[in-house]
Amino acid sequence: MNAIPRIRVVDVHKRFGPLEVLRGVSFDVNRGNVVSVIGASGSGKSTLLRCVNYLEPPNAGEVYLEGEPLGSRLDAGGRRRPRSLAEINRLRRELGVVFQQYNLWPHMTVLGNVVEAPIRVRKLSRAEAMAIGEECLRRVQLTDKAGEYPARLSGGQQQRAAIARALAMRPKAMLFDEPTSSLDPELTDEVLGVMRELAADGTTMIVVTHEMAFAREVSDWVIFLHDGLIEEEGPPAQLFEAAKSERLRRFLAKYRR
Amino acid sequence: MSDGLKQALDLSLFWEYRAVLLQGLVFNALVFLCAAALALSAGLGAALMRVNRFFPTRLVGTLHVELFRNAPDYVMLVWVHFVLPLIIGAAIRRRVEFHPFVSAVIALGLVYSGYFAETFRAGIEAIPRGNLDAARGFGMSERLILWRIVLPQVVRRMLPEALNQFISLFKATTIVSLIAVPDLMYAVSMVTQQEMRPLPLYTGAALTYFLIILVLASGVRAFSERWRRKILA
Repeated sequence: MNAIPRIRVVDVHKRFGPLEVLRGVSFDVNRGNVVSVIGASGSGKSTLLRCVNYLEPPNAGEVYLEGEPLGSRLDAGGRRRPRSLAEINRLRRELGVVFQQYNLWPHMTVLGNVVEAPIRVRKLSRAEAMAIGEECLRRVQLTDKAGEYPARLSGGQQQRAAIARALAMRPKAMLFDEPTSSLDPELTDEVLGVMRELAADGTTMIVVTHEMAFAREVSDWVIFLHDGLIEEEGPPAQLFEAAKSERLRRFLAKYRR
Repeated sequence: MSDGLKQALDLSLFWEYRAVLLQGLVFNALVFLCAAALALSAGLGAALMRVNRFFPTRLVGTLHVELFRNAPDYVMLVWVHFVLPLIIGAAIRRRVEFHPFVSAVIALGLVYSGYFAETFRAGIEAIPRGNLDAARGFGMSERLILWRIVLPQVVRRMLPEALNQFISLFKATTIVSLIAVPDLMYAVSMVTQQEMRPLPLYTGAALTYFLIILVLASGVRAFSERWRRKILA
């Protein structure tokens, strides 16, 4: 059993001006596990995910990737020093991110989007990157759209391309920030289908989501965030069947119709 | 038709001196190319300053834009050619003189850098934040993001407006004869001194400029539009 969790989040705080969005959040994600984060809008879910890869540097607390702190390191004297942007970049490329708005680069084809970071950041040869890119597009069933520009794709196709782009970096974990919230219901399924397969393949994932059925079915652990704190957490069966918190019960009731 | 008008529209004189005049036109093109290069690079620099997080950097960018965008081409040309060398000379305690060509490139380059800076800035600000988040999330450095994600999109977005500015810049090169850059208009006035018949030469010059700009601009537009459309669909 590997003792070091893939991702460890320790007492993360995040403030935007006077507004404290995260007020001390801690959790672990073990290798091959899927952790879902649920909660009402404004509970801090997306901010939490953005803190995990330092798109929003936490004001306090730390995130560890396989035991290595993302935002700081110990110097020779054993003191904690903040990392430079270059060092943070080196670590966070190990985390693949998928956004609610897909955020594909519009001036590159689908395949261009997928191979960009492997070539420029991982410094793979073009041939190597292309091979990986094509394999990733196959996994999300977009091989036939490799040469298209994002503007010509449906939302579901764009999101699958974004997933392929993140996979192509061969990340140690995937972070999903409400990946289906901008999609029509019929397009949601194709994206969730891809994510289910990733989970089945043993991909380590943190998923911020409003898809309760998905969270329940795929997750190993579910976190209910309320007002910047973990209100309740546990295995999905426990959380969805026997919620202790009144707030969680009320929250879940809204999704049972 | 009056004799004067007939004479003004008779292009045989222009044709007769075509070699000299064409040489002048080469200077227009050279001033244009060099000034455009300066305007684009200084404009990009100023635009990046204007979107910087730090206020003092933003302020420098804003000053650059306001100073040069609001200076008339003509005034700037004369000022750069006659006053700027005095200032630099006083600073380094040596006599400084600019070659007219250099003055022309600096003056027009700076004035148009003010316009280009604003075009660049609008292009940069139009890029959705998420595009940059994604790039940062994959560990791309800020420099890589600028060259691979920001600029390629900015260039496509700003092309139609930039094309208009290039046209204005090309037209502005016609004033460089004021400080004796031997351009087309300079050649026209030289020939005029010999032939004493300026009107057909002006007509010829007007037609030449018109045709060149029309052909080049529509060529660039046709070439760029399909390429641009791909990402803005």
